[in-house]
Amino acid sequence: MPVQEALRIKELSKVYRAKAGDVVAVDGVSFEARKGEVTVIVGPSGSGKTTLLYLIGSLESPDGGEIWAFGEDIASPAADLIRYRRERVGFVFQFFNLISALTALENVMLPMDLQAVPGSRQRGRAEELLSRMGIDARLQRAKANKMSGGEKQRVAIARAMANDPDIILADEPTGNLDTATGRVVVDILVKLAREDGKCVIIVTHDEDIVKVADRAFSMTDGKLAPHDR
Amino acid sequence: MRAIRRGFKSFRRHPLSNLTVVLLLFVCLAFSLSMLVVKLAADDQVASIKRSVGNYGELRVSSDYILEVFEEELNKGAAQRNREARSRNEEEEIEYRARFHLPEELADAFSRQDHILTYDKVINAGIIVRGVVNSELAPLAQYATDQELARRGIEGLNRQTLGNLFVFEGNTNGASASDFLNGNKELIEGSFYTYVDYLEKNPVVLVEKNMAEENELSVGDRIEAVVVGGGRGENTMELEIIGIYETQQAERRRESILDYNPAGNKLFAPLPIVQELSGMPGYVELGSYYFDSVESTEALQEAFGREIAQGNRYEFVTDDADYRKISEPLQKVGKTSTIGLAGALGACALIIILAMAIIIWGRTRELGVLKAIGATDRQVVGQYAVEVICICLVSVVLATGAAVLISEGLGNWLLSESTEKNVEVVEKKAYTGDYLSDRKLYKEGGLYTPVMKKEETVNLNVIYQGDLLVYGILILVGISLLGMAVPVIWITRLRPARVLSIE
Repeated sequence: MPVQEALRIKELSKVYRAKAGDVVAVDGVSFEARKGEVTVIVGPSGSGKTTLLYLIGSLESPDGGEIWAFGEDIASPAADLIRYRRERVGFVFQFFNLISALTALENVMLPMDLQAVPGSRQRGRAEELLSRMGIDARLQRAKANKMSGGEKQRVAIARAMANDPDIILADEPTGNLDTATGRVVVDILVKLAREDGKCVIIVTHDEDIVKVADRAFSMTDGKLAPHDR
Repeated sequence: MRAIRRGFKSFRRHPLSNLTVVLLLFVCLAFSLSMLVVKLAADDQVASIKRSVGNYGELRVSSDYILEVFEEELNKGAAQRNREARSRNEEEEIEYRARFHLPEELADAFSRQDHILTYDKVINAGIIVRGVVNSELAPLAQYATDQELARRGIEGLNRQTLGNLFVFEGNTNGASASDFLNGNKELIEGSFYTYVDYLEKNPVVLVEKNMAEENELSVGDRIEAVVVGGGRGENTMELEIIGIYETQQAERRRESILDYNPAGNKLFAPLPIVQELSGMPGYVELGSYYFDSVESTEALQEAFGREIAQGNRYEFVTDDADYRKISEPLQKVGKTSTIGLAGALGACALIIILAMAIIIWGRTRELGVLKAIGATDRQVVGQYAVEVICICLVSVVLATGAAVLISEGLGNWLLSESTEKNVEVVEKKAYTGDYLSDRKLYKEGGLYTPVMKKEETVNLNVIYQGDLLVYGILILVGISLLGMAVPVIWITRLRPARVLSIE
């Protein structure tokens, strides 16, 4: 599969204003990420990696710099962020963030429903994605709050894939899982890059995940540097 | 549509929390709607009472003036009174007898006040009708003396003619006589005399069924009435019977057999005829007025005081006390229910705002997820708006049903609480020690034909009108909007990045 540039980040910065003093969460970060590749950003807690991920996913707005995604600067005020979030980006969170009152199937159908995808197509795709993630038919109809951590994270990945986005942003995807389950989740994310050609960006404090990365960076105090593997 | 479906599903997915809110709202809304129903019914009933009570007044010689005259006469002694009677010429005699009457032109003048809608003039008189027997008075002749009867001032009245004495009531239109208006009497044959008969002074009369049967009289027959002041039995007037009525309501006073008007022996005739028969041309006993509303009472009293009163000689008596007696409990209920309504609606507002704040706070992460996966603020707000509307709609529908069941009972309970206190006040007012103070209004069945006293009770008639539906919808819209305000504020200000990384 040919490798294409998906993301180009230039001099990105984010400062949180606080009474105690400003906190520079992201400080002049620049890097590129490509489709079909896994980019891993490693750093300790508070290093600014989650903020960087949220900036890329447009959940936060930057104070400076550019975020070019498929030729569009989503940091510019004119960017259509709703469409970007729906069509280009899929999120996987550390705490899964599934809607507990919904079943696994409904959680996966939700992004498609917001996109006004017809009901039958929503269900078909959600069932297919969940099956790929190893969630059987019985579990698909179980409420999210009845599932284990690994199952929840696989449902969360299926939800991130619902609208077939180009970029998968995973924030500490193994942070709440045991080692074996974490490995399964990472394998799924790697597959999404290798087989589906997604641009997968994982932020983590787990150095082991760097092993699967095509590109790896370290983040400390908001600054990004190539990871010394 | 998708937002509606998602909102409806969300409503179903949270049965426990939503049911709790529905129950709380139901209690407050049921109370609100009941209070609203009671208030609407009370207001409607007050408006209805206003159309029929409190808008009637009578212009007549005052009770105080009558008392003054009585006292003056008593102080004179019999000899002086006889001397004065002998010395009066015909004109002075009319004036003397008219002391307790009202000049007709005063009654006419007062009718030109702005608020007056209709008016009538009434006179009552005892008149002898030759050859016609008053079967109820005739047996009393043996107990009376000629001297006593002569004091009545009725020409030719003595023990022989007492049995031919009848009460005549004159007004401008037979159909508008009080007894016929309030249903005490009902025309069963012939027709009423009309305003034209009044204007043309047509000598026509209505008689009672029993009296007609006992004297073998029917419509078209003529009777001969003796004119007071026309010389000893020499001046009479022939009257044609044009209608026969039946008495529906007993008229006898309970207290005294001598002070009553026998049921079958009242004759109704055009005003000028009774004036002529009683020798009182240009005088009436009272002017009877219907005006636009009880609210005009004060203006009319002012006009009366300014233009008519002549010191204390005349009085303008209205039925505003009756209006107050009936309407005050209803007005109190209306006020109480308004306070209850406001309180309950305030509680509803508080409940929906707090409930939605708790619900939204509990679902902050869900909101963050929705926004993170590409939901617009409008989509999220729409979903929650539908959920709020579902909660409010279910509550309003249940509360409306409950209000229908409890409002009438609640209203009448409030009414009974208000009525007891009110009756106490009215009764205290009634016993003033003035024996003339209980003079009946003509409206209530005629000055000399008081009906048996009826205990008037006020009931709240709750009628479920379209108004209730409109108010129900308005309340639904109001609390829904309040309920929506919380999600709208919360959702538009929520930044998903803040909530999604928190465990």
